[in-house]
Amino acid sequence: MNIQASHVILAAAAVAALILLAGEATAPLLYTAQNTSTAAHADPSTVPKESGKDADALIPLMGDLLGETGTLTLTIKLKDFESAERDLARYSELSAQFDNLVVKLDVTGNDIGDFQQNNQENLASLAALLNDTRRFEDLQRLEIDVLDGEQRMAIAYENETLRQKMREGFSAYAEREATVTGITDHYELNATPYRESVTNFAEIVNATEDRQEETGGSANSPLGIAVTPDNGRYGDLLSIAGTYAGGTAETPIKVYVDSRVAGNANLDASGNYACAYLVNRTPTGLHLAYATAGTVYSAVTAFEVLPGETAITLAVEGGSAVTCTGNLTTIEGRPVTGAPVVLRVDGTRLVSTETDQNGTYTEQIALPVGEHAVRAEFTAAGYPLDASESPTETVIVRSEGLSPLPFIAAIAAALGSGWYLRRRHRPAEEPAAEPPMTVSPEEEAAATPPPVEIAGLPPREAATVLFQALRARLGLPDTKTPRDCARLAPAHAAFFERYEQIRYAGETPTDDELRAMEAEARGGDEDAA
Amino acid sequence: MQRENWAAILLLLLAGAAAYAHATTTTEEFSRYNVGWNGTSGFAAGEVHDLRNLEPGTTLLILAPDRPFTAGEVEYLRTFLDSGGLLLIADEDGAANPLLADLGSAIRVRQGNLSSLDRDHANPGLFTVRVVENATLFAGVETVRVNRPATVTGGDPLLETSILTWDDADGDGRPGRTETFGTAVVCASEGNLIVLGDPSLFINAMLAENPGFINNLQPVLIDAAHSRTGTTNPVINTLAWVRETPAATAALAALAVLPVAYLFGRKRDE
Repeated sequence: MNIQASHVILAAAAVAALILLAGEATAPLLYTAQNTSTAAHADPSTVPKESGKDADALIPLMGDLLGETGTLTLTIKLKDFESAERDLARYSELSAQFDNLVVKLDVTGNDIGDFQQNNQENLASLAALLNDTRRFEDLQRLEIDVLDGEQRMAIAYENETLRQKMREGFSAYAEREATVTGITDHYELNATPYRESVTNFAEIVNATEDRQEETGGSANSPLGIAVTPDNGRYGDLLSIAGTYAGGTAETPIKVYVDSRVAGNANLDASGNYACAYLVNRTPTGLHLAYATAGTVYSAVTAFEVLPGETAITLAVEGGSAVTCTGNLTTIEGRPVTGAPVVLRVDGTRLVSTETDQNGTYTEQIALPVGEHAVRAEFTAAGYPLDASESPTETVIVRSEGLSPLPFIAAIAAALGSGWYLRRRHRPAEEPAAEPPMTVSPEEEAAATPPPVEIAGLPPREAATVLFQALRARLGLPDTKTPRDCARLAPAHAAFFERYEQIRYAGETPTDDELRAMEAEARGGDEDAA
Repeated sequence: MQRENWAAILLLLLAGAAAYAHATTTTEEFSRYNVGWNGTSGFAAGEVHDLRNLEPGTTLLILAPDRPFTAGEVEYLRTFLDSGGLLLIADEDGAANPLLADLGSAIRVRQGNLSSLDRDHANPGLFTVRVVENATLFAGVETVRVNRPATVTGGDPLLETSILTWDDADGDGRPGRTETFGTAVVCASEGNLIVLGDPSLFINAMLAENPGFINNLQPVLIDAAHSRTGTTNPVINTLAWVRETPAATAALAALAVLPVAYLFGRKRDE
């Protein structure tokens, strides 16, 4: 095989290798395999690990929640309010744990999510039951102590409000029983405590109504009240209005919804008042309203908040930090304001944000380089709205561009090196006025020979001494090399060339040569000539 | 010889070795000649191409079957089962169902996309199932990590998922409104016949995940005539034919020796 052929083979092999590499260069597998999978299976070594212990806690936690409902209603029924407070706190804590777990495991979309929703409503119902029962007991004691007729009337109104509220609360609680037990039966959980809680709830409400009947219900009041329309959805404005027969203009009226002040108004000249009520964070279901004018109480009236559907959008924009924006609206297009929105990144990481007055949310998330899936979720907790989630958006976070500084530095270094090399190779500028240095025979003759002593020196050192002596005799500077000297004093070129061989080629002069060189250094040849 | 010549020869040898390795392997799923993560080259098993020669009392694995069994072959398998042999069929797309029916078994493989929260990987199809019945194959094993298994119906359950398992019909990796949680059987037995809904347990990437189960299975024969484990390519087929045909082996050896002999003789003449 000749050289040419081997070069051709080498070149062909190199080109083939480069082509093969180029074909694979864009394949991610060449760098870091991640989530490698086919339709039949995934490569476990490329799938990120995660803890599976959270999932183990899910079903037992559901059982604990069911157990807490039975305990809590029993302590309320027994009027052991201190224990009930503790039970409620425990139930609330477990519910929060469960809610977090459901969100973390991303199971809001199936029957576990339904259980979570029902449990949240059960928690709210039982918390209201505890407050209402305790308030009812307080009112019963007040009614006995208070002799004033108007105060007794006020207490009676509040009793009536509480009674209606508890009745409505029980209806809602009992309605959920079928759904909850259906789910718990599927997971083979013991639902007996929960069923007992429904029974206890009913007994508490019935006992309240019995006592209310004993002490007398609401009476006819000169202060009227009506809610129009008698139902509404999120964002609707309801009117709570009425007439106070016998009231004077500018009399202040307070309007209560679910025993909380919901608005203030003044009577007009005709004895009418009106107050607007915005359905915002008002849970779905029946709500009670009444009005007061000083010590005069109106009858209690009810209105219903209907559930509404929502839609949430998501737009992601990549960069060093990913910007997520979107809108949360009802299905009718009404913005949902001040609402919590969760951004789920890659299925596991959760980032919380909130909508503004236009229902828009914006959040910047710092993400590592790579492809990420982001989804916006609205859980609707506390709103008369259904939960919603956006389509999953994919965003690719690229590494920041290379800093230009190293390139600038490299270019500067290259330019500097080029400048230096060019300068170095430029021919040295000739001294303008300085004539070429040569040694004429007259000058040489005029020069005084220096003393030369080489006795006892090694031959090569002796040659050096003779070279220095001749150079000095010829008046040449000490910086001149043997070659320079041979050029400047051609008459002694043979001497200097021989010395150059001795000095740089390592040759050793013979005694005859040394003698000849000594004679030349001392000027013997010229003298002889 | 000059240095360039040696370099060229070295390059040619390396290129030849690479080309040989490339041509004699495949990337087909479950193939015994696939050395990648989704091949079964690392699973130790003796290959069986003809079912009539099965030894009684041994274990035969039919992995990811994709070709039909003749009536005669079904009869051989029935005889094998009757003789005390253990037949393990691993299938996830239902291709084994006709064979199971022909064998008179009530077990069926139901294709699906089982996913579970009972997992320690981010992929919901890669999860853990529990051993629910004593069986030699699962002796000393409590859990088995499966990889996108199928549900197995009928027979006595051997492996069962946790209740937090669902059939991810829409493939979004999360339980949806119509995807309820529930347990599923992924392995069942009927006498000496065991049906496993996950052939992926035997791919190279999964062997280290269930060492107890893989060890319990040994020694094992694997059917190379009806399953995707036998997936090859023309080069592999040719090499296999040469290996198995003495005349072809001798001819190939002669082809290699003749040029050398010719060169040697020519040099002597010179």
